[in-house]
Amino acid sequence: MIREFSLVDIYYLLLAARWTLALTGLAFLGGSLVGLLIAVLRVSPVAPLRALGAGYISIVQGIPLLAWLFVLFFGLPILAGVRVSPWIAAMVAFSIYAGAFLGDIWRGCLQAIPRQQWEAGASLGLSFADQLRYIIVPQAVRVAIPPTVGFLVQLIKNTSLAAVIGFVELTREGQLTNSTTYRPFTVYIVVAAIYFALCFPLTQWSRSLERTFRVSR
Amino acid sequence: MSLVELHDVVKRFGANTVLDRVSLTVQPGEIIAIIGRSGSGKSTMLRCINGLESIQGGRIVFDGETVNDPATNLRKLRQRVGIVFQSYNLFPHLSVERNITLAPRVVKGIERDAARDLAARALARVGLADKIDAYPDQLSGGQQQRVAIARSLAMQPQLMLFDEITSALDPELTGEVLKVLEQVAKEGMTMMLVTHEIGFARRVATRLIFMHSGRIWEEGLAGDVLAKPRTPELATFLDAVLH
Repeated sequence: MIREFSLVDIYYLLLAARWTLALTGLAFLGGSLVGLLIAVLRVSPVAPLRALGAGYISIVQGIPLLAWLFVLFFGLPILAGVRVSPWIAAMVAFSIYAGAFLGDIWRGCLQAIPRQQWEAGASLGLSFADQLRYIIVPQAVRVAIPPTVGFLVQLIKNTSLAAVIGFVELTREGQLTNSTTYRPFTVYIVVAAIYFALCFPLTQWSRSLERTFRVSR
Repeated sequence: MSLVELHDVVKRFGANTVLDRVSLTVQPGEIIAIIGRSGSGKSTMLRCINGLESIQGGRIVFDGETVNDPATNLRKLRQRVGIVFQSYNLFPHLSVERNITLAPRVVKGIERDAARDLAARALARVGLADKIDAYPDQLSGGQQQRVAIARSLAMQPQLMLFDEITSALDPELTGEVLKVLEQVAKEGMTMMLVTHEIGFARRVATRLIFMHSGRIWEEGLAGDVLAKPRTPELATFLDAVLH
């Protein structure tokens, strides 16, 4: 049954955008936890831990996000006999993926802090964890905010891949709307416009943060 | 009992031998000035004593504990060995008070108010009592270096290492830092300082060490060593520094 594309469809697309945002938020949260661990492993004084962090990053970055989604959603029921919902599969896949990228970004930010700051902390008897917590991380956060916001924009757009495992977010809703209205151009223009409306302010914010931090440093 | 002992210490960076069987004993209360060309190993020697650099041979003992023994708790040891660096290395995101109180609070668990008192007293010793709430970037180089000294003093170390702490400063700022050093020396602190300030070394040091190509080339009372160099290397060095 074909029906006209109308304001109601735009309304439904906007509703679906909520799930895009929800998935982005959860992926960012999960990715931050993983990313923090990976970044700390990468600057650890223990060589095997550094290698572990590096290994995680290269494995995850070397496999397409789409493959992670398929493996988790279709593979787990076959391999482990566990059925996972699209929500769980998407959340886990995006956390793994975001963890590798955020871990790599934040490693760079930690390493941007001069070695002498670590040494000054160590010389006062601070442990590695305390050096990180009180000396390195507070300084690295300033450096980390602009690229982190930049990655968040990537993440929003990449959540569209979750459509392939039936996760109904903005892109999937667009596909569904198109299948009943047969107005692909209109539908996807609206979808694209909504993505743009979500990402553009963040991009601008990231730019202005970069300017602020460059001036104040 | 001696406070610091170095026994045939060897330090290599790759194929480059920076310390070549260095032996040295420091008694409590001694003020040792270490001079020598850049690359002669003097800074590296200091950094080995608090374990910032690992050594490839020999043994370093501080107050009965072997620094280069993997079983030694370096964190505990470093609380008793202060070091001040050429580039100050203050924490730029923390106020002067927090710079000084961070380690006493985190490492020694001192309460907030007691820690502020401690910072105030340490700052008074370096003549900066009024800067307790300032941030490092609001201070001159000389003031930053004095805060760094206060930060080290606040840990109440048994030994203070000073690694060319005036080399990054203008002559007029050098003076204020040296005055503080002299004061700390008078209070009886055991000190080892790498310096290019020959006049200061002569005035304050109880012993002077001249290092050359990774070895202790000459040592003795500062006045004697400076007045009568026994080796052409020291004579050449003094000639270059003093003229």
